[in-house]
Amino acid sequence: MEATVVTPDITCDLMDVDETDLVWTFLSEARAPDLIEPGALVLAGDTDASAVAEVVDIVDKPAGKVVHLRLLPGHIEAYAALVQRVLTD
Amino acid sequence: VAEPTREELRPRLRTEPSLADTVVVVRGGPAKARQLTTHAERTHKAFQLDGVPIWGVSVFAAIDDIGPASLDGLLQRLWSYRVVHLPTVGQLADAGFPLLPTFARPHFTLRLTTADEIEIDRLVVALGPENPNRYHWIKR
Repeated sequence: MEATVVTPDITCDLMDVDETDLVWTFLSEARAPDLIEPGALVLAGDTDASAVAEVVDIVDKPAGKVVHLRLLPGHIEAYAALVQRVLTD
Repeated sequence: VAEPTREELRPRLRTEPSLADTVVVVRGGPAKARQLTTHAERTHKAFQLDGVPIWGVSVFAAIDDIGPASLDGLLQRLWSYRVVHLPTVGQLADAGFPLLPTFARPHFTLRLTTADEIEIDRLVVALGPENPNRYHWIKR
């Protein structure tokens, strides 16, 4: 069986949390920064570990714009299964 | 006066007793040099300590016997990681990697002196073997 390649929307270390206790990364690490806005659901992480996350906010920090992410439970395949189950033509 | 280009970490350090050498430290894996370098450089871009830019990677310490800061609690929190590395505080200290108690408990910043190939390779060795995370991909 071929392995599925996972390409996150925004690269981060899922263990990087700051004073908000949320995961943080730089907006510049997003593949498509326009997609990154509060409330958006994205895939965050890297090719080895990723998670569906909600964009909480984007804040100005001395080094640049930082995105805060709230990790949501469940692997992306669970979300795909949900969509497939409930959406009908 | 020039604006700082990094956030100062000093106000983000917790005041708490030093960790015992036997405390287990959790780092999601696999520990790949390329990704650890990227993470260390991200920290370096973002933070300084006492005005000096620092390199580091995030880890969690299994401080408690039960609850979210226990080893079991941390493995659950890190469910997205297929494998984890579980060195002890003492093993990391012996390898020259101190832990800074940064942000919310039980987060620590494992401090590096730089992010060059030699330092990152030393870190990979110090993190030790991969251990399967029994909570990986558990559907909740």
